[in-house]
Amino acid sequence: MQTWDLGIEELKEKNSGENNLKTELLTVNMGPQHPATHGVLRVEIKTDSEVVAKAIPHLGYLHRCMEKHSENLDYRGVIPFVDRLDYLASMSQEYSYVAAVEKMLGTEVPRRAQLLRMLILELQRIASHLMAFGTYALDLGAFSPFLYAFDEREKILRFFEEISGARLLYNYIWIGGVWNDITDKHVETLKEFLDNFEKELVKYDNLVSGNKIFLERVINVGNLSLEDAISYGATGPVLRGSGYAWDLRKVDPYLCYNEVEFDVPVATGERGSVVGDCYSRYIVRMKEMEESVKICRQVLDKLEDGPVMGKVSKVIKPAKGEVFVRTECPRGELGVHLVSDGTKKPYRVKIKSPCFTHVSILPHFAPGQMIADFVASIGSIDIVLGEVDR
Amino acid sequence: MLSELSSLINSKVPNAKAEVINPEEGSLGEGSILVAPESIYAVCEFLKTNDKYSFNALQVISGVDYLECIEVNYMLGNFDVNNPRQLILKTKLTDRVNPRLDSVCGLWHAANYQERECYDMLGVTFNNHPDHRRILCPDDWEGFPLRKDYMTQKYYRDMEVFPDDKMNYEEREFIVRQKQMEEDLKKRMLERGM
Repeated sequence: MQTWDLGIEELKEKNSGENNLKTELLTVNMGPQHPATHGVLRVEIKTDSEVVAKAIPHLGYLHRCMEKHSENLDYRGVIPFVDRLDYLASMSQEYSYVAAVEKMLGTEVPRRAQLLRMLILELQRIASHLMAFGTYALDLGAFSPFLYAFDEREKILRFFEEISGARLLYNYIWIGGVWNDITDKHVETLKEFLDNFEKELVKYDNLVSGNKIFLERVINVGNLSLEDAISYGATGPVLRGSGYAWDLRKVDPYLCYNEVEFDVPVATGERGSVVGDCYSRYIVRMKEMEESVKICRQVLDKLEDGPVMGKVSKVIKPAKGEVFVRTECPRGELGVHLVSDGTKKPYRVKIKSPCFTHVSILPHFAPGQMIADFVASIGSIDIVLGEVDR
Repeated sequence: MLSELSSLINSKVPNAKAEVINPEEGSLGEGSILVAPESIYAVCEFLKTNDKYSFNALQVISGVDYLECIEVNYMLGNFDVNNPRQLILKTKLTDRVNPRLDSVCGLWHAANYQERECYDMLGVTFNNHPDHRRILCPDDWEGFPLRKDYMTQKYYRDMEVFPDDKMNYEEREFIVRQKQMEEDLKKRMLERGM
């Protein structure tokens, strides 16, 4: 029997006693420049050979003082800054902030603008989940799904570019509505895209979700029980991956989500997986894309003519007070705590970022995992460091 | 719900001094509950464990600096599809030099990072915190950025923070305000003969 066949405990036993070799934990820095950490996250890992004993995330490499900046800008000026939090799902971030300001002002948003927002948010969810799907497969060593995913994501980005003029950081959802209307031609292309995308989803399922090698890597890895998930404050696909159907679009509907029909996908432990493992979180995202397609179709049918901008005064000056608004973003619940002191600048903007909350789960995953499994765990919670560090 | 909850808190936690804060006339927002800072752990424990109004998740801790006091908001939530609830629990710290609160890490895992961020940004120290460090700023950074009277340090590790030749002072209100604050400080020092 070779030494590499032995487990850690056996190895320690063998090395103790007569041989009495001195063993100690090795500290390895994973990141800040590391392909598997999805940005500039540094995880200090204490390893016992290939097994991780402890992991300490170090944040702040992308800290851009967004909250401090916002205190020196007017209410409209904050929107482009909010874009840059989660640069893969800018529309969702914009909406959360704008919803908070609109709640303060009591603005009425025209119906067409509300439906457009819903359409955009769901398309953004698909784009964001495609990125998560592609990079997760890439983390685990499969290269081609990444290219397929980017192909489809590109179509959504192109649509966003046509309506807003930008590919990633849009500044499209404004206080009172959206700044540009879509045309009938856009509706047609979108319908075409949605039809095509459903076939693509089946392809992804055959290519990755049922792939034996992929399943071996993700099943029963990085388990997170429901109790822990709630205690860590996890939301979005992470909480639903732990088997709980909590979705703000159902629980506390905003926009017109109460008018459309959709399911909340929950991990059920199919294909031999355990509820709460990496596979559960992955499959919840894949199923969510199907639901988003459903919502998009219904919204396109509901679209009716009308204005896309409500009546908002030129200078935005909410009364004194504070609001806390949360919305369901692709990565979880994004909360905005907005405090106004009656002037035209916000007194305090606090962003409750889902990724920040999810990073705190990493030390929980680590003990006893192989380093490669830890990479799989990081990928499965799908963090964007722009949002973690703000 | 709020008034009932606050009287429940008062009956179970004797020194909580819980009171309901409804938004004043002409201002906006939802109501919240204000408690005394010394009792924060006991109140949170009660809110988490009681049967009638339990809150199983801590969503975020948001600190706001009002100059006369530092207000720490605990956004609690009940992640239950049949019975979703939300509560803003406030506490006010009047000591700006050394604001202290008890950590609630023992109740919710989420508190760990949120409290670290609150310390990093507003300088609120949390007793019994398992890993009390800065989280977003570097460990040797001076001052607490989200305080309203924050002054950026001149040098960080021998690097000038706002180099004169690289700043566009006309367009940056924040930096202009910093400059003014510095000059005011100098003036005051001169007046006192220091």
